[in-house]
Amino acid sequence: MIWLQIALLAGVIGLDSTAFPQIMISRPIVAGALTGLLFGRPTEGLMLGALLEVFHLATLPIGAARYPEAGTANVSGVAAYLFVTPALDVPALFLAGVFALAWERIAGGSVVVLRRANERLIVDAQAVADPARLIERRHMLALVLDFGRGAVVTVVGALAGAALLLAFTPFWALPETVVRSAIAVATTTLLAAALSVFGGWQERKRIFLLGLLSGTLLALIA
Amino acid sequence: MLLRSFSVQATWNYRTLMGAGFAYVMLPVLRQLYGRDSERLRDAVARHSSVFNCHPYLVGIAAGAVARMEADGADPRLIDRFKAAVRGSLGSLGDQLIWAGWRPVCALLALLFLLVGLPWWVVCGAFLVAYNAGHLAARVYAFRLGWTYSKGVAEKLRQPWVAEVQRRVAMTGAFLVGVLLPLAAFGRTLALPHPLIAGAVAVAGLLLGLRFGNAMRTPVILVLVGFVLIGFLMRPQ
Repeated sequence: MIWLQIALLAGVIGLDSTAFPQIMISRPIVAGALTGLLFGRPTEGLMLGALLEVFHLATLPIGAARYPEAGTANVSGVAAYLFVTPALDVPALFLAGVFALAWERIAGGSVVVLRRANERLIVDAQAVADPARLIERRHMLALVLDFGRGAVVTVVGALAGAALLLAFTPFWALPETVVRSAIAVATTTLLAAALSVFGGWQERKRIFLLGLLSGTLLALIA
Repeated sequence: MLLRSFSVQATWNYRTLMGAGFAYVMLPVLRQLYGRDSERLRDAVARHSSVFNCHPYLVGIAAGAVARMEADGADPRLIDRFKAAVRGSLGSLGDQLIWAGWRPVCALLALLFLLVGLPWWVVCGAFLVAYNAGHLAARVYAFRLGWTYSKGVAEKLRQPWVAEVQRRVAMTGAFLVGVLLPLAAFGRTLALPHPLIAGAVAVAGLLLGLRFGNAMRTPVILVLVGFVLIGFLMRPQ
């Protein structure tokens, strides 16, 4: 039953990435929490989603550019992690995060395949009697195909991720402190890198430093 | 048309890009205008399913303007030239304003809420509500703008308020990046064992990220993969 729920959620998230309606439930931070909710552990899903979100802050889906698909891959990673762990397990969470980062390349590849398949749905309006109706039908077909793509690529990813975690986590022994530090370096590096999206250091150094000061005070208070 | 615009990219492909989706959005107007004349309807559908691309949230600007031009009986060649002229600018404007502006700002806000310890549903709810307030406003405004100004809409987009909105969004984003860095390193979420480690982490991340920007993404992933491999070398006996 849980796999059916994952497939349905993944289909919706796959659709939301590009095809419909782009309300950003496909962002890793939301997709991760929603997947966690299916397992009754939304906070852990959110944590993994937040890690992937940081990797995608500066990834821009511009034109025909090929880019990794974070939403469905994150569902795979979170589902795999929650399937094999009974409670919070930071090393397993880290491994699932790295798996999701790899899987998003495959998920992104499936988008390219779908876009090539969509070329076959183009209607030659001059060659058919009722092109308007045909365009509407093929539009619906494209939505169904994208839903199916998201569901399949995610469930396959979740099964592969769960199998890898089950097989290899017992042989993995990096101390939790090192894992947390690695995540922290990755997070701070990519957060700082996101400044380039907003104009970079030269243009935004004053407001950035003001933020840095505010964040430091907030960290001291919290 | 507005509802149809939410799925404008469903048939996105490498030959006509968003072309088929644009025709899908235009169909209600085309049926209204040419419904009784199947030949003219077919011609109009053919014209509007050709190559087109722009930012999906701003497709309403082009669709609204083209709908108005069709309703006013404009020359089809003029409509085609208009579509070719606006597609680039609508693409880059949306990319700057939404993909590189509003979306990362809302994501940073959600990360801030997470790092200060708010519950998951507040983090996700705040992100979705904030983001979609801007998203839906952009879609509705786009259609109104396109329909109201028709082929003069490009002039409207060159006005200074657009650049001012971009600047404010970018300033907010830069501020939030600054706020989040110390919270990520020193906060409770990652709970690093010693302030010195946290300080070193923050400084290392800051310098690397500022120096190399998004080019750091792949190296960071490779370093994490390296940690995975090291973990196997240290496997328990």
